[in-house]
Amino acid sequence: MKIFLRKHERVLAYMLAALIMIYLSYGLPGFLPGDFVTAMYSSSHVTLTADQEAEIRAFYTQREGFIHYLVNLFTLNWGYSYAFLTPTSSLILEALPWTLLLFGSAHLISMIFGFIAGVELAWRRGSFWEKIGVGSMTIMEGVPEIGSGVVLLLVFALYLGWFPSSGAETAYARQSAGEWAWDVLRHLALPLSTLILAYFPGNFLLARGSMVMVLKEQFVQTARAKGLPPLRVRYVHAARNVLLPMVTRFGLRLAFMLTGALVVETIYSYPGLGTLLFNAIGKRDLPLIQNIVLFSSLMVLLINLALDYVYGWVDPRVRHAY
Amino acid sequence: MHIDVRGQLVRDPWFLAGMGLALALGLLTLLGPMLTPHDPHDMSFQPLTPPSAVHWLGVNDGGMDIFSELLYGMQNTVGFGLFTGLIALSFGMAVGLAAAWFGGWLDQILMRLADILIAIPAVMILILTAALFRPSPMILALILAVMSWPTTAKAIRSQALIVKNRIHIQAARQMGASGSYVVVRHLMPELFPLYLIGFAAKARMAMFMEASLAFLGLSDPSRKSLGLMIGFALKYYYLDVWWNWIMPPVLLLTLLIMAVTFLAISLEKVFDPRLKEAW
Repeated sequence: MKIFLRKHERVLAYMLAALIMIYLSYGLPGFLPGDFVTAMYSSSHVTLTADQEAEIRAFYTQREGFIHYLVNLFTLNWGYSYAFLTPTSSLILEALPWTLLLFGSAHLISMIFGFIAGVELAWRRGSFWEKIGVGSMTIMEGVPEIGSGVVLLLVFALYLGWFPSSGAETAYARQSAGEWAWDVLRHLALPLSTLILAYFPGNFLLARGSMVMVLKEQFVQTARAKGLPPLRVRYVHAARNVLLPMVTRFGLRLAFMLTGALVVETIYSYPGLGTLLFNAIGKRDLPLIQNIVLFSSLMVLLINLALDYVYGWVDPRVRHAY
Repeated sequence: MHIDVRGQLVRDPWFLAGMGLALALGLLTLLGPMLTPHDPHDMSFQPLTPPSAVHWLGVNDGGMDIFSELLYGMQNTVGFGLFTGLIALSFGMAVGLAAAWFGGWLDQILMRLADILIAIPAVMILILTAALFRPSPMILALILAVMSWPTTAKAIRSQALIVKNRIHIQAARQMGASGSYVVVRHLMPELFPLYLIGFAAKARMAMFMEASLAFLGLSDPSRKSLGLMIGFALKYYYLDVWWNWIMPPVLLLTLLIMAVTFLAISLEKVFDPRLKEAW
């Protein structure tokens, strides 16, 4: 059975997916009904000046060519946000670092610790701690980000007051670099914990499950029989086989996990892409919504493409398969 | 797959926990409208009244009974999840079986299409269409289903390829059974566990998506949903409403996702012979 496509086939699939996303972003507004500008904005809290209204109408009725749209896309010429009165590209690029910090560190921490915990508990299979770990992590796997996020917010930010409830840094505070870093960390604590609570259990359960299977293999018995130290058997011989399913799972669930990240950012008003999207939706800022969606989709595709190279690095069998 | 799976399922604590939760929540969903005397859209009550005998969980900022909102919101979330799961599963079955049975260029085309769809983040398409067109939840569910069949189709296809070459199917073909007869009578029943696993996974994802999209303000604000309730309630966190307004929808949504997750995990564990050893 062919599990992995040839590399150029996968790259082609991603390119097509990217093209579809760009084309949808370009073409979908064309299907908007008649005078949607009036329909959309008359019922919202946003009041537009006559100029702005004409501009939006022009923006959505112009039929620039697809090539032209592509050129604009790659030159960061993404149009203006009507709610924030700024180019959407600068809004998105401003929000991006915070999202990368939050999302990236959450994944890094959950993957590394999920991997280690899974490997260690699989090694101690049947012990008291293994049963507790598997049981509690299975329960945690069922808790959505929206649930854990709200509970952490209520308990640690509002009731106990240990951490700030919103933002990514204290506004207008004059701080030294050290104080600033500490401030950022304090703001990061709750959203990061929420995401780790969401991502760690899955990583742990998968690492443990795969490791239990690997430990049954003969090469592990051989390694043990040779009298290698247990730590070496565990990590150098057995555990590297656990990495591939973990990377695969990450790629498959990336888009799904993004949804949770949007929600978590919104709960804590963390100034990343999720909160920007939430604000754009609230203000019906269509150009901004459209661009955030397109930008995030292309990012997801890019990460997936990068993962393909990670596969080859993690598992030489993939690299030499074709 | 001729093993005593039913016995194994019934002995699995996660299956029992998931089933118990699902039954309780299902009953609550079905009986929902009968349990409350108030219409969830009735805005005639005193806003922000604390819980009382009349309003078990109090009244929200818009003068609506929170308890009835909860029951109707639950109906919408569960309905969205089950509907999406069913449609996604049907697509996945049709494509997976067709690709495995016919093979050749059809298989190639369908699987390449699946690869492309897997690469596209479904939530982004949902957000885009929801923001531009404000479609009905039914349309959103259909879009989500169309975006999410590929993983199920791939799982069904690879298992179908194995089953297709088994002796009893060869025998049936030798005896002159038609292709459709073999597919319907022999191939489809053998893959039954995969349908359950696929359905549970898709329904879980869809409920999560529905709650998240509603929370982000992308669904029709007059359509009750657990996610929407959480979003509105959080705006009033500074009032003392966490236990009667914020927590009930959070808890209900968590229990809901938990029930489906337990069922999905337990089904996968019992039916996937490779995973079974790991538990």
